[in-house]
Amino acid sequence: MILIGEDLNVMSGEISRVIKEREPGPIQQCVAAQTKNGMDYLDVNVGPVKKDPEGTMEWLINTVQEVTDLPLCLDTTNPLAMEAGLKFCKSKALLNSASGATESMETMLPLAAKYSADVVLSVINDAGLPSDADERAASIMESAAVANELGIANENIWVDPVLLPIGVDQRQVTSYLEFIQMLQDLLPGAKSTCGLSNLSYGAPKELKSLLNRTFLVMIGRYGQHSAIVSGFDRELIRLIRGEVPEMVELIYRAMDEENMDISALPQKELEYVKTVQVLMGKSLYSHSWLEV
Amino acid sequence: MALKGAEIMKMLPKTNCKECGYATCFAFAMKLATGGAKLEDCPYLDPQVKAQLEAAMAPPIKLVTIGTGENTLSIGEEQVMFRHEKTFFHEPGIAILISDKGAESEIEEKLKHINTFDFERIGQKLRINLLALCFESGDKDKFQALVKKAYQTTEAALILICEDTDVLFSAAALCADRKPLVYPITNENMNVAIPKLKKLGVAAGVKGQSIDAVVSVTSDLKDAGIEDMVLDPGFKNMLEGIRDQTLIRRAALKKGFRPLGYPTIAFPCFMYPDRFQETLAAAALMTKYAGIVVWSQANAHFLLPLLVLRFNIFSDPRRPMTVEEKAYAIGNPDENSPVLISTNYALDYFIVSAAIEEGNMPAYLCINNTEGLGVMAAWTSGKFNGEAIAEFFKKYGVADKVKHRKLIIPGVAKKLVAELEEELPGWEIILGPLEGSDIPKFLSEQWKA
Amino acid sequence: MMKYEPPLEKISVNIRETVVGHGEKALKIGGENTLPFHFFEGSLPNPPGLALEILDTEPENWAPSVLEPFEDVVSDPVKWAKKCVEVFGAEMLCLRLLSADPMGKNGSAEEAAEITKIVADAVDVPLIVWGTDMEEKDAQVLTQVARACSGKNLLLAPLVKGNYEEIAKAAMEHGHAIVAQASMDANLTKELNIALCKFFPPEKIVIDPTASALGYGLEYTFSIIEEIKQFGLADKDKMMQMPILCDFGGDCWRTKEAKENREQGILWEAITGITFILAGANLLILRHPEALKLIKEMVV
Repeated sequence: MILIGEDLNVMSGEISRVIKEREPGPIQQCVAAQTKNGMDYLDVNVGPVKKDPEGTMEWLINTVQEVTDLPLCLDTTNPLAMEAGLKFCKSKALLNSASGATESMETMLPLAAKYSADVVLSVINDAGLPSDADERAASIMESAAVANELGIANENIWVDPVLLPIGVDQRQVTSYLEFIQMLQDLLPGAKSTCGLSNLSYGAPKELKSLLNRTFLVMIGRYGQHSAIVSGFDRELIRLIRGEVPEMVELIYRAMDEENMDISALPQKELEYVKTVQVLMGKSLYSHSWLEV
Repeated sequence: MALKGAEIMKMLPKTNCKECGYATCFAFAMKLATGGAKLEDCPYLDPQVKAQLEAAMAPPIKLVTIGTGENTLSIGEEQVMFRHEKTFFHEPGIAILISDKGAESEIEEKLKHINTFDFERIGQKLRINLLALCFESGDKDKFQALVKKAYQTTEAALILICEDTDVLFSAAALCADRKPLVYPITNENMNVAIPKLKKLGVAAGVKGQSIDAVVSVTSDLKDAGIEDMVLDPGFKNMLEGIRDQTLIRRAALKKGFRPLGYPTIAFPCFMYPDRFQETLAAAALMTKYAGIVVWSQANAHFLLPLLVLRFNIFSDPRRPMTVEEKAYAIGNPDENSPVLISTNYALDYFIVSAAIEEGNMPAYLCINNTEGLGVMAAWTSGKFNGEAIAEFFKKYGVADKVKHRKLIIPGVAKKLVAELEEELPGWEIILGPLEGSDIPKFLSEQWKA
Repeated sequence: MMKYEPPLEKISVNIRETVVGHGEKALKIGGENTLPFHFFEGSLPNPPGLALEILDTEPENWAPSVLEPFEDVVSDPVKWAKKCVEVFGAEMLCLRLLSADPMGKNGSAEEAAEITKIVADAVDVPLIVWGTDMEEKDAQVLTQVARACSGKNLLLAPLVKGNYEEIAKAAMEHGHAIVAQASMDANLTKELNIALCKFFPPEKIVIDPTASALGYGLEYTFSIIEEIKQFGLADKDKMMQMPILCDFGGDCWRTKEAKENREQGILWEAITGITFILAGANLLILRHPEALKLIKEMVV
């Protein structure tokens, strides 16, 4: 599983400030720490970058690359900033993101082609977010066809099925599971990614990681190629890197709805099993899912 | 759709030959399931399997159309029992009943009504464009005169209601090019009716005394090659209507029972003499699955709530409902009135505008097009930021409407303050209350131009 | 010809039955094991409860057509309550404690409890007592009310995430039922019920998903009620098996459509109400006696 560290993000007020003030210290700290924690890519989320997109990106990308050799995932909605960023990346970048919406396909996909970058392609299209797995499939096939025509091969497309907060729409989480299992049949060779933290948006702080990492193990089993995750979530990293194989095994068994004596499980194991159940849509999610 | 992509996949050749234009058979199946591809595109499909697939992929409830042009009513092709499962696709028709026994003046009034009734609501036109003409006079000429008159003076879609089959079809012949629905077609008259239905090409309103009775008629009509049907299983009140229409939709959707795979028609006009009761029954029968409700009122105060209900229930829960972008004047604001801004997510608009109205302080409510996103989501995606709002101010000349320079923004949008101070120089940006319901108090205590 | 078999769906669990009030006139709501009006495939032992609302303070800004039926009694909540029962046939009342509203008169919790006690003693029908919709104030007001009316089995509303604990404890101690309110969100509804059920009897909880008027968000309420009922009945989720209440009279009569014409206003409220019953609501709070009468004729 490819892990993309998400922590360099303007949504954090501090990062936003130091970018504006061209203060490299905190940025390099954040980058170095995520690199050390074993991320494979680093997401550089700069938001829309209204003011001086070129200058900002040149400074930022160089600042980041001074302390890491990891490839970068450039995350902005502004095509000018995206192009500027792509120019300065030393290794093959990942453009994050294009979608099936006409405007996005017209601006972002040609950029990916021009700079031979990989591209995150989401299932969103002009009609919005598809409501089930079949609609996701129909949407991604159309957008991928456009990308293919521009010379972007399936292998360079990282499909983003779009993960919604489980507290907002649990059915969308189960359609994600359904969809990711069919992806290789739809677009052989295509990669995949998602913004994992979005799953637990709104959930109690202390339980976010549990939701995120359990889901990541689940989709990993179904062939998920990568995910954008917190580069500081040690438990998640350990689980994904195979350091706790017995928990992964347990999650798989819960996914298979294997009969097990729930009452005999230790606390931690029990939490994983209950979490799998809500993620599969077997019981209605609430923030206190562990308590029932 | 009746079949999911994965189910279709099982019946395809699975050779991934790519001749259909898709990378895999599975991809082709997904396209078939969402209506984006045709079975013909697969050159290796066994004809027998193809026929099977065609049947299985047909919508479980047939789409039936009545009327022509912009007054065409399309009903059916529903996919779910509950709107939250996906959405309801086709708004039911609301027909106004006109009897040929009615006084000339009453008929005139109703016909006039249908031509002039026109509500506008948050950018949506609410209209009545369906008439049910009923033979009660016993006088064939009178009925024909009514049909002619409705045909000539309105462009409405028509339903013809007449127990005398000869009179029914002679009237249908007068307006066949309007594609009317003819009712009732029953076990008794169907042998006479079948050739006429085929000749005129009109839809059949099938009536039976029970669901069983309806099944026997629709099966025979289908065998005779008639496809367009609307069902009336003879329910006599709201409760029976909810029962029958629920069972019919369930049989079609969940059991794939084809003889009931058609929209239904309900007649609250014949069930409740009290017009309030009739209106409530119409509301309930429409919500629980009628394709058409026939209703005796032509009174705007009775009609508006029904039309708004239809609009609400048939809105798509998968897409946020939006209102039109503009600077709304609420009450009669003047140059000293407050200026507020919000998104075009319909619920935001309703809450804020209702709160302003309640506070009795006229104001300008600027509604910025955020494609239905709420405040924070719209900010994140750049649709409700300093720049977008400054653009809105320019486009709608907000600065010319008021003398003061104060803008009240949603209480949750703290991050907007600095952006707006930059983009709208000279304006004071005021953070409003967190809850829309606190707006009246906020304005009365804090507003000074 | 294909044979038609009625596709009946039998459900093996029930919505809980909640009793409001005490003595002969106590009312039961909920208890069904099927969807609204589905007598053909299940049982619905209790018709939807219909309550008329009264205020403890003279109303301001009420539309003339909804004020008219009460004009002679609005200055006295006891007379108002009695007229609703004796003249308009209300089988349940909802007393709204506007006098305690911090945004308005900001009367004390003790005063609100006192007036509640007077009204509760004056009528024998079950009483819903609605606080101020302000979390902190309601924690005071409703606990006082619970104490003052001990044993009357009131339905106290609304309990929200921020104040449920205190109010529910007082309700339990003094034998009242409660309304758990979570705005238009099935997940949060479940959340609150789980929290309550840790110490409070589930059969004394009623769900309020918060209701919007026709044309002003009705479809959101409609679908959230249908969803909650599906979770409770089809998915057998125990935390979603409480009866559902809808309170929308005020929202209806605030609309310009209701204000501009009396008949249209009555229909606005009655259609909103019957639509929520169709979705699965077990208890409605209504404002206009004609709307009550109309809904009753249709559904009871």
